Parts: sequence; structure tokens; C-alpha cells
Amino acid sequence: MFKKNIILRVSLLILIIILSGLVFGTLASGAQVGSDLGLSGKLGAAIAKVPAGTASGQIDINAPKGFLGIPGAPQINPIVAFLWAVWVGWIFSTVGAFGGIMAGVGHMTVFGLGDYTKEFKKTGPEFNKIMTDSIRMANQWLVGLSSGIGSLNYLRSKRLAWPLGLALGLGSLLGAYFIPLLTGGKISFSAYQGWFGLAVFVVGGFILYETTPRGQAGKKAAKAAAQAFEKSVKEKDAATDEGIKVTKWGLGRIEFSFFGVEFGFNPIMAFIGGIVIASISAFLGVGGGFLYVPYLTSIVGLPMFVVAGTSALAVLISMITSITSYLTNTGAAVDWALIGVELIGIFVGSMIGPRTQKYIPDIWLKRIFVVLALYVGLGYFSKGFFGTSWVPM
Amino acid sequence: MDWWISLDGFLIGLYRITGWPVPDYFIGTFLLAVITVIIGEVTTSLVYRANRGYFKRLNSRLGELHDASMVALRLKDKTNYRAVNREANDTFGQVFFGMFGLSASYMWPAFFALAWMETRFAGIRFPIFIKSVTAGYFLSFLITYVLARIAFSMLKPHLPYFKNIMDHQETGGQPTIPALEEAR
Repeated sequence: MFKKNIILRVSLLILIIILSGLVFGTLASGAQVGSDLGLSGKLGAAIAKVPAGTASGQIDINAPKGFLGIPGAPQINPIVAFLWAVWVGWIFSTVGAFGGIMAGVGHMTVFGLGDYTKEFKKTGPEFNKIMTDSIRMANQWLVGLSSGIGSLNYLRSKRLAWPLGLALGLGSLLGAYFIPLLTGGKISFSAYQGWFGLAVFVVGGFILYETTPRGQAGKKAAKAAAQAFEKSVKEKDAATDEGIKVTKWGLGRIEFSFFGVEFGFNPIMAFIGGIVIASISAFLGVGGGFLYVPYLTSIVGLPMFVVAGTSALAVLISMITSITSYLTNTGAAVDWALIGVELIGIFVGSMIGPRTQKYIPDIWLKRIFVVLALYVGLGYFSKGFFGTSWVPM
Repeated sequence: MDWWISLDGFLIGLYRITGWPVPDYFIGTFLLAVITVIIGEVTTSLVYRANRGYFKRLNSRLGELHDASMVALRLKDKTNYRAVNREANDTFGQVFFGMFGLSASYMWPAFFALAWMETRFAGIRFPIFIKSVTAGYFLSFLITYVLARIAFSMLKPHLPYFKNIMDHQETGGQPTIPALEEAR
């Protein structure tokens, strides 16, 4: 009798444990959206797995449609998008590189896409990662397309050191293709925001150096030397164009002459440089255009027009490849109308920039952007990697 | 953001020319691409006109700095070559980023066209040679857009307004290398 009681009590205990597991499991998973809500591809499939409801981290299928046609997603005000893009275009035409960073800030913070995406970190991780890829691709479209015309123009000028262009271009192709392939659907928004913040911090550091007396002194000395030399050579004729002639081929070193002067470079370093720069650009959605020129200048010391043409080739290859890779490999979605509105803002901003340049000294522009870069960089870095921003954001 | 969908009635009319669905799709997409190319060219001309003086000044400066760096190279004057080349690289950066506005003004209509096409043709896939490889509205628009651009560039020299912009762009929008141009 006693044994029979123990068996009954143990059996009852086991049943209670199993039942509790079922109840808690169902409560934890909740009812899911269960449908792609008419959205195609990986985005629709990811949405179907997100819990349905009105709380944070859930999708309310009855809510008005917002970004990418997702119910309850931020409804980006086109006027806000336009005005922010005017700011981005103004920066492109005054300072340059920092415009891409501001475009990213717009997508992540100003339009509210970052905070919305973060809600799904635990409840819909797949959705979180596809939204992150969509934000990365939006940056890529905007900054990559904007560099298209400049790149084509410099390619047409035919000042291309083609052995260097080939090595750099091949590296760019690999970096721009494999980064979306390898990271697509795998990067949470927090991680992306953290890395973006770190990159912004580094850019801010470089701009800060340029505003210091030492940075300014170097630039002033170079400018003075250049002006003095120009005056002295105004009467002299430039040499006739002898083109680029390759004089030595090798895996460790390629040499060519330009204007009768010998130049050389390590093709493996150029190839690796192309991979690294294109990878950074494809991962963050910014950074290709302004990194190639200093890299080429530092490893080869080529004349400006040759650097311009060669870096333009690399930028074009990187841009086309990464956008194609994002579209085909990641399942990220594009809000075409948002990009269209932003492009209008950029071209309006770019018309204002040259007109305001004479009123704002270059040094003060850079100081403003240093402050912005350090603030945004610190905020995104801390928010992304530590869960909370160290500055009001 | 959906105000442009009011154009739907006009745009779908481009897709009802022959009455055969597949040819109509490609003809309509090509016509849509042509419209976006023309609008893009008009807005680019406005941006170019607004910034013409700025581009001309920068490109002229670029050419001067390049000439000076070539002279320094010929004279094997490393110090001055580096100084002048550094100035030239900085100026190149300003020109390169300054052109972002031109790019944006070329491209923006295409994105609104794609946004509209998504509302109409998102579910349609075309097999590319074999059934297992398909493409949607984006690829078909991209191809017709490139074709429309090529066609427009051939007509451009004969179109009054655009021809004038072209003449200015030949000297002001492209980087110039005066000494090298004379040597050709």
C-alpha cells in the first residue's frame, strides 16, 4: 500500500512538472504572427515568426503600415527624411566624408529604425537581423549611388594605373561580395550600432587631429610649399604625356613609369588593402570613398589624377558588388521611396553647400563635426556594446 | 510617402499599349525608365547650373596642381612633388564629394519608379533562360534603365536644352588637364 502511494505521488509530480513546462513554454513563445503579411522573401518569413501583439517586441497586425510595409513600424515623415538628407548633402559638399556617417545616423536614430529594430532582439532575432541588414543596405545605396557619377568621371579621364587598379579592384570585389554574404542575417542591430559608433569615433579622431596645431602646421607647410613651387613653375611647360608603362612584373613588386618617373607598389598589399577597405565600406555602409585615396597615396605616392582614377575604379566595383550582394544574399529589403526622397534632399543640400562655404571657415566646420562625431560615436558605441548610451541620446 | 501613387493611373497606362501582357510589361518598363532618365537629366542640369562656377573653379585648380606636380616629378623634386600632390589630393576630395549632388539628381526618379513598380509587380518573376533562375521587377527595370540611358545619351547632342548643358559640362564638369590636353 505504501509503495503504491509513493508511485502515485511520484507519477503525479512528474505530470505536474510536464504540465508546467507546457504552460510556461506556451506563455513564453506566445502566439506568433504566423503570416508573412504579404511581404516577400526572408523579411516576410522572419515576420511570420515574431510574436503577435501590441507590446514591445511584438507586431500588431492591425497597426498602420510603416517602414517596408511592416505594420507598426516607424512611419518615416517624408519631410523629416528630406530635411535630414539636405543636411547630409550639405555636409558632402562642404566637409565630404562625414556625410555618409550622418546618413547612417538618420536611418538609425532620426527615423527611429534603430530603436524599433532593437525591440525584437529577443522576441524576433531573425527579424532583428534582417532589419539591421536593411538599414545597412539603405546606407550603402545612398552613399554608394552618390559616389557613382564622380567615379565614372574620373574613370573617363583615363589616368588609371591599371596594374594597381587590378590588384585593388580584385580585393574590393572580394571584400564587397563576401561581407554581405558572410554577415547577412547574422548581425544584430546592437552589434552593428556598436561597430558603427567605433568607426565614427575613429573618423572623429582623424578630423580632430586635422584641427590641432600640429595637424594644421603640416597642412599649412604643404600648402605654402605648393603655392611657392607653383609660382616658380608657371612659366615652364609640363611634360608631354607619356602614359603609364609597366616596367617590371612580380608578385612582390610591380614597377611602372609615369612621366618618366618610376613608381612601384606591392600588389599583395594593394589587394589586401582593397579587401579591407571594401569590407569596412560594405559592413558599415560608409567609408569607401575617403579611405582609398589616402591608402593609395601612402603605399604608392602616385600623382593625384592617377590616384583619382584608380580609387574611382575601386569605389565603383565595391559599390556595385556590395549592393548586388546585399540584394541577392541577405534578403534585406529596400524602401525605394525613402531612398528617392533622401536623394532629392542630398542634391538640394549639395547646391546649398558651396554657397555657405565662404561664410564658415573650414577649421570651424571641422570642429563642429569633431564634436558631432565624438558624441555620436560614444553614444552608439556604448549603446551598441553595453546596452545603454553614455551620453543623452 | 504615398502621394506619388496618385500617378498610378497614368503609369499603368504605359503598360497597356499592345494588349499582350509580356511585351506590354517590357515596353511599359522601358517607357517608365525613359521618363525617369529625362526627369533625372533635367534635375541634374539644374544642379549643374547652380554649381557650375564652383565646379569650374575646383577643376581648374585641380588641373593647375596636377601640372605643377608633373613638373616637380620631371625635375625629381620630391619635397615639392609631395606638397603639391597633397594639395591636389585635398582638392580632388572636394570635387569628388561635391559630385555627390549630381549623382543624387540623376538617380532619384528611378527610386520612385521602383517604389511604384513594387506596388504593382512585386509578385511577378521572370525565368532567365532556365525556370529555376528568376528575376523580378528590379532587374527588368535596371536593364531597361541602362538601355534608356544609352539611348538618351545618343539623342542628347541633338536636343536643344541638353546640348547646351553638355557643352558646359565638357569644360566645367570634367577634370581638366590643360597641358596634357594640348599634348594629345
